[in-house]
Amino acid sequence: MTGEVCGAQGDNGLHKRALLRGWSQAGWRRYIWVLLVCSFLGSGPAWGAAIRLGAINPLTGNLALHGIEIHQGIVAAVEEANARGGLQGHPVELLSRDDQSRPDVALNQTQDLLYREKVVGLLGGYVDSLVGPISTMAARHGTPYVAAASLQQSLTEQGNPFFFRVSCMSGVVKPLGRFILERLKPAKVAILYTATPGSTEFATRLKEMLAEQGIAIPLFEKFRPGTPDFSVLLLKAREQGDDLLISGGFFPDNLLLARQLREQRTPLKAFIAPWGVAYEKFIRELRQGSEGLMGLCAWNPGITYPGTETASQAFVKRFQERFGQAPNTTTMHGYTAARALLAAIEQVLGKKEPLSGPAISRELRSLDLLLPMGRLRFDEKGDPLDYRQVIVQIQQGKLQVVYPPERATGELWYPLNAASPQ
Amino acid sequence: MGIWQQAIISGFSLGSFYVLLAMGFSLIFGVTHAFNLAHGELIVLAGYLAYALWHFWHIPFYWTLPVCILLLPVATLGLHWLLRRLPAPFELNSLVVTFGLAIMLQNLFLAFFSADFRLIMLPAAPVLDFPDLSIMVTANQALLVSLSLAATGLVHLFLHRTFLGKALRATIQNREGAALAGIRVGQMQLIAFGVGGTLIGLAGPLFASNMYLYPAGGMEATLIAIIITITAGVGRTRSLLLGGWLLGLAESLAVLLIGTSWRELISAGILLAILLWRPEGISSRKTGIT
Repeated sequence: MTGEVCGAQGDNGLHKRALLRGWSQAGWRRYIWVLLVCSFLGSGPAWGAAIRLGAINPLTGNLALHGIEIHQGIVAAVEEANARGGLQGHPVELLSRDDQSRPDVALNQTQDLLYREKVVGLLGGYVDSLVGPISTMAARHGTPYVAAASLQQSLTEQGNPFFFRVSCMSGVVKPLGRFILERLKPAKVAILYTATPGSTEFATRLKEMLAEQGIAIPLFEKFRPGTPDFSVLLLKAREQGDDLLISGGFFPDNLLLARQLREQRTPLKAFIAPWGVAYEKFIRELRQGSEGLMGLCAWNPGITYPGTETASQAFVKRFQERFGQAPNTTTMHGYTAARALLAAIEQVLGKKEPLSGPAISRELRSLDLLLPMGRLRFDEKGDPLDYRQVIVQIQQGKLQVVYPPERATGELWYPLNAASPQ
Repeated sequence: MGIWQQAIISGFSLGSFYVLLAMGFSLIFGVTHAFNLAHGELIVLAGYLAYALWHFWHIPFYWTLPVCILLLPVATLGLHWLLRRLPAPFELNSLVVTFGLAIMLQNLFLAFFSADFRLIMLPAAPVLDFPDLSIMVTANQALLVSLSLAATGLVHLFLHRTFLGKALRATIQNREGAALAGIRVGQMQLIAFGVGGTLIGLAGPLFASNMYLYPAGGMEATLIAIIITITAGVGRTRSLLLGGWLLGLAESLAVLLIGTSWRELISAGILLAILLWRPEGISSRKTGIT
């Protein structure tokens, strides 16, 4: 009985082996061909299938203000592409994730988008402490990532072929340094910066640039974002007789600094902050207290790259209809990053190539776009070649470009106390 | 000399700000043992209320203070109603529920006020100006110091000179003992939440006029309240003022002498030293509550 059973099993086993032997001759070859064809077809989207892109931004937490702005810029670009009929007939699907302003959450969300959602490209990111982990994870997965707001030099010097960004440190430090040296000509400058990688690098590079030209920097101090009181720092600046105060803080830090500057009547000739001042919201909150303060921006509804006025106005109109508010420079960074990735994907699809990370990265590297924020080309490291911010000053509740001269829309008010109603 | 005096004024003002943020937390925690992680969010709620009145309805800032003082106890009494339904262990469950409440409030703020940073601008003119001595006290600084003194004084008088206050202190010291003495502990908890709500209502508008409001801004206020309460000892009003001023002065002088990057380290060092030296609070005695 047992033998019969065993025999029956043995027959069955022989039959299976015969089947496998049969396969190993012609069937296996056919099977491998089918697999190869399927894998080739699978590497590009099927006709009309959606192209999935991931966006990771701080939509909650202390960086939510700018994270939401970048997100809206990305949404605007994706909706614009879909309204044109998609990319070579493929609609674009945007999968948005909130990193809660925390690097650990940013990493988890990146993993989710790459491994579970299988997106072909990543977008967004605000501040280098959040962009850095996303870029490392994207590189490991071989997926291109176009960051909207990143500055730290080391991020593009790591030789990551899948990382690109639409902003860079030199686009901030160089115009600001030249403006200070050519127009303000101060004797002493105070530099305050936050304990974040981008802000620290900004402050260090600017200090070196100014010190080379013989300008004294008696106050060079780091503070934690969210510091509730700057009054003692302002007292130190007053005691040292500093002419300028440059703040590497973010929007809320600059709100507080500017208010305490006004309350304490600190006799500075100018206050300049690259981040947080050139916003309508900043003017709305500080009202008269914002008059004469200076900031930097790459774009604003009234400040656009020469030759892109029509595109800029059309974008502002569409954005206002969609989101019920005006876009700003941060929004435009999100929009620009998304436009770059979408253009690269379209190029790959146009060449009938599989939509792989290396192919998209190659097309990103060969891009040459003229967008409202300026001309967009990437260098070998993934940095933008033409990124330059302009210096703006708040004058009668409006942002006026005061430097460089060829883009100036108003005269510089200098020194601060003589010019502004403070 | 001027810079030293000015730094001390800044320190007192910052310390007073800390005291106002912590008072409500300390009282509620002392009486009820509810570790209210939504404390900061309730301050931000009061701040947004004041901001809305000031910004949208153009109500003068000083009038927003009584409105918030009257309305915030409604929110804290609602929280009391919620917490008294919790099963044992109360301390742990209150922690979880208030953490959930904090997240819920943050999302509500995000929905109603967006992620924008908002602040209330007070007049910039200094209240006291002595140019010869290089001393100047701004409106904000004067308001913070005077209101923290007034609030501390009133709470101290209430706790020490009224029967109700003494019953509250007894509940803080020993709940079981107070219950055995005939004090209705449940009612004391209700009163603590009511008075705590009043203090949160006072802190909210000042938070909006000294810091800035944003949906996640409450976490910082909760943390400050916890630190000051630990420094001072639970339910000790005068020690709360002393602890707040000590931290404010230490931070200001640290910024003046060794730089702003040392500020947090100095605060943490003071906190650790007090925990080692006086674990019951900065002005604790062997027995009793001051």
